[in-house]
Amino acid sequence: MIALITNAFLSIVQAAIPASAVVVLAATGAMVNEKVGVLNLGQEGLIGIGAVFTVLAVQVWEIESPWLCLLVGMSAAAVAGTLFAIATVVVRANQVLVGLALTLGGIGLSNQLGTNRNGTPITVVFADLDPAGAFSGNQITEAFFQHDPLAYIAYVFLPLVLWFLFYRTRHGLDLRAVGESPATADATGTPVLTFRMLYTILGCAISGAAGCYMILAFTPTWSQDIARGRGWVALAVVILAAWRPFYVVLGALLYGAMISLDQTTQARNWDLPFLEAKDVSFALAMLPYLVTLIAILVPAGLARIGKRKSARDAPGGLAVPYFREER
Amino acid sequence: MIAGVRLARRLEVDPRRQNITRLLGAAAGLLLAGLLLLLIGRSPFTILSDSIEAIWSKRGVENVLRQAVPIVMCALGVALSLRMRVWNIGSDGQFLFGAFCALGISINVDAPDPVLLVLMAVAGALGGALWILVPALARAYWGVNEIITTLLLNFVALELIKWASLGFWRDTKSQVTKSTVLVEATLPRMWGFERLSIAVLVPVVITIVLFLVFRATTVGYEIDMIGGNARAARFAGVNVPRRIVTVMLITGSIAGLAGMLQLTGVPGSQAMGEGFSSNFGLSGFIVAALAGAAFAGVPIAGLFIAAMFYAGLVLQTKGLSVYIVLAIYAVVLIGVAIGEVAARYDLVRPRPHHVDVPPSAPAALTPTGPTP
Repeated sequence: MIALITNAFLSIVQAAIPASAVVVLAATGAMVNEKVGVLNLGQEGLIGIGAVFTVLAVQVWEIESPWLCLLVGMSAAAVAGTLFAIATVVVRANQVLVGLALTLGGIGLSNQLGTNRNGTPITVVFADLDPAGAFSGNQITEAFFQHDPLAYIAYVFLPLVLWFLFYRTRHGLDLRAVGESPATADATGTPVLTFRMLYTILGCAISGAAGCYMILAFTPTWSQDIARGRGWVALAVVILAAWRPFYVVLGALLYGAMISLDQTTQARNWDLPFLEAKDVSFALAMLPYLVTLIAILVPAGLARIGKRKSARDAPGGLAVPYFREER
Repeated sequence: MIAGVRLARRLEVDPRRQNITRLLGAAAGLLLAGLLLLLIGRSPFTILSDSIEAIWSKRGVENVLRQAVPIVMCALGVALSLRMRVWNIGSDGQFLFGAFCALGISINVDAPDPVLLVLMAVAGALGGALWILVPALARAYWGVNEIITTLLLNFVALELIKWASLGFWRDTKSQVTKSTVLVEATLPRMWGFERLSIAVLVPVVITIVLFLVFRATTVGYEIDMIGGNARAARFAGVNVPRRIVTVMLITGSIAGLAGMLQLTGVPGSQAMGEGFSSNFGLSGFIVAALAGAAFAGVPIAGLFIAAMFYAGLVLQTKGLSVYIVLAIYAVVLIGVAIGEVAARYDLVRPRPHHVDVPPSAPAALTPTGPTP
């Protein structure tokens, strides 16, 4: 019995790490946007754009290095992000509307470009890290550590760099000020629009990397509507992670664990006393979204009941365009 | 800037002016979409003439009206909550769960058709309201952003419908069907039409009611006040959280009722399967944005988007994909968003610096523009 549970747990871990990495990357990108006060609802579109251009890089331009393919996908997302940034930061159009347009346009563009590529295999993929065979052979290290390098970047390197940038540098202080109170930042001489432009585009490129990850590591094949709600989950993860880099990783893992719980029970044909195996799978498919929702609601509710000023609040200037004249 | 003209920002925005710039923005978006089509080697003129040809027939008009019913209903709900600056992006979930509840009534209740239809409509509206209840309470009392919560519930609803159509309510008469059993009762046909039910009247009635409520009652005024400045509304004695919950529940029930109407009023979709809602909620959101949350504008914008949607479906047979229609939506939406901001600017010539200006220099050219 214990062996069975350990086994199931390890297979959930093994599947959850790559499944969550997609959400980690998208949520990190969204968080970078939101840190400077730009709400980007276009995550689904950015994932699609990143993914489809990676597919094109592999299949049409025949690039053989996965790192270069990643660069192509991220650049495409950065171009889309530049358009988004011009509309929201420079022209100061409503961020919700333009973000939804980015989602629609990204889904439309990526599905159009990927129309005849459904199910075609991708030959260029990231190999799993296994230095000197240290990870393979042992079930535990295989589940926890034998993953591709991009997952390491998403889980360790990127959060570390962003945490240091946000909380340990002067530049990061300015950056957070731009998100919390652009008027104050402006008064201290921080170029608000430059910061917003720069970090919006950077965030979009990171979100695009989530799409690249799907192709180059997670599921090496193109399928229409590739994001399938992961972008929206990523936006929810940013909220439940309270806009902090390492919490984003934990939040995304929660989602990934739910997804792989579904897969594991499906593979093992488990049933519950009141549900047949086939119904368990249907019910579990709802779980990732429900758990994410509850994970947002519970802390917010507890904070309200405790009547304390929450440290989990969104950046003060989020989704508010900045006009110097209206300071 | 160009030829000495520069942009000056207005402090107050005239809504009529904003309507014009919004439409101009949408038109510019369509124009840009046409250019993009040219770029990928499709003639926008052929597409336009094919679309008009497809729509301009009795069958075409009926189909557009049919598509418009769920889109306009969802848009009315979204527009209602937008008046309070509440973004309900979960119309699709409310639409689906409304239809789900109506179907549940049809399966479990044995009653004569008219009674059954009334019960189903009530169930649909209640179901839609139930689906938005948690986001509404969380937004009103805990300040939780409603965009994400309503959206996450869309996916839950989608999975629920999948479960119903492949699991507990699946039509078992044939092995291949991937949808639920058919509803027991359908709405009567609209007089003079072949494929249109009386469902088409419902959005018209709701539009008129909402328009009148906001034109003539305190409730409507209070909701607009919350949208203008929630703090000021609170000081004026409005119970803001309660109003937010009420309005969001009504929003959800309109979308839920739309789901029931789709289920009982459209031949061919009297059962629920995976494709039951073709993004009606999302289209509704675009319509509400296009209309600037003005109720009178919603049906017009809704017909426009429904026509585009239907043209997209027809043109699929001519090799144009629905994805291009999505991309066109996107460009139009950006046009609307930019048009909305454009209304806040005036193009002005800067005040001349020299003293030797002819005395006839018109006062209207001063940078600030007319102040209302």
